[in-house]
Parts: sequence; structure tokens; C-alpha cells
Amino acid sequence: MLVLTRKVGEGIIIGDDVRVTVVEVRGNSIRLGIDAPHHKKIHRLEVYERIKNETQLATNWLPADLDSLQSTFKSSFLKD
Amino acid sequence: MKILNCRFGDLEYQPEDLILFPEGLIGFEHLHDFVMMPNRPEKLPFWIQSITNPDFALMLAYPELVFPDYNFTPDQKDKEKLGLIDLDGHITLSIVTLHKNQTITFNLAAPIILAPTTSRALQCILEGAPYNTRTPLI
Repeated sequence: MLVLTRKVGEGIIIGDDVRVTVVEVRGNSIRLGIDAPHHKKIHRLEVYERIKNETQLATNWLPADLDSLQSTFKSSFLKD
Repeated sequence: MKILNCRFGDLEYQPEDLILFPEGLIGFEHLHDFVMMPNRPEKLPFWIQSITNPDFALMLAYPELVFPDYNFTPDQKDKEKLGLIDLDGHITLSIVTLHKNQTITFNLAAPIILAPTTSRALQCILEGAPYNTRTPLI
């Protein structure tokens, strides 16, 4: 990991199209401003990791599990 | 008719069963092409299988059946990625996790948005919304 020290108002550029600026520092929090192309997704890291891990976990199932889930839906959630 | 060897055995599918995730999934950006289980009974949970990774398959379900207030509207950026011209024609789905203790949870924080007319899908993160990656199916 590259670690750089920046003061408020200073920034970094990643590649040629992502700019991160330190907007404000308050106690333990830093406000970051991000300029990136419209199509690039930006997420809080812990949110991203949590979702990734949950998806990985969600790959652990067998056909019988899907059958069971479908049965549950048929009996509990689908209107006849 | 094509055949994919996945962990469930040989899977036969038609080209029209394919779904493209242009951006892959969150954390799995390299997985673009999935087979969507054909002959899906209306609104029952179903699965999708990665063409690229035979071990990667997910169960998807319709959250609206369980959580009637759950609502997601794709923004303009999402619509473009899905190839949609108007706002309608998208389906919101949840990835279902089966846990070791047999509980079932829905990832309401990161829905899959499917556009059946363009056979494209993407996963969106609902930032700041009161939704959980693990909402139990009661």
C-alpha cells in the first residue's frame, strides 16, 4: 500500500482520471473529495468488502437448498 | 444448445438464457457472463451460474414478496449500463445466503437489478439505506 501524508486542501491523483482531495480534518475523521469519471463506482471500503464476503458466502448451496427455498416461497409468500 | 460443466454437473443452456453483468458483481468484477436458470416459475427463487467460474453460482429471489416496502429505483447511470431506455422493465432481485445454521438471509443492501429485455444485470449498493446484507427470511 502506498502511504502519503497530505494536508487539508492537498490531494492525490490516481492514474490520470481519479483525484482525491483532503477537504477537511476533524478529530478522527477526514472528509475526502473524489473526482472520478462518471462511470467509475466509488464505495466505502468496508461496505464493499462486506458485500463481497456475503456474495462469496452465498455461493455455498446445493440444488436441494434451492428446492427447499422454492417450497418455502410457494407455501409462505406466493399468492395463489 | 450449449453445455457448461459446473459443480452441479453438466448444465445445458440456450444463448437466450445468458445474462451479461457488464460490471460483474461487487468484488467479482471479472465475472460477466451468467446462465440464468431457464423455465423459471413466476416469482419463485432461481439461480444463476457463472460461465467463467464453474464453482460460482447464486440463488436469487424476489424481495418484494417478503419485504413489500423494499423498493429500489435505478438511476440514469444504472439505466444506461442496463441498456434500458425507460425506467420500467427492470426487476429487483436479492442474493440469498444459506447459512451454516440453516437460516436464510437476503442481501437487501446490494440488490441485483435485471433488465430482461436487454439480458443485462448489475449489482447496486444501497449506500446509507437502512438495509442489511443479511436480512433474515422470517
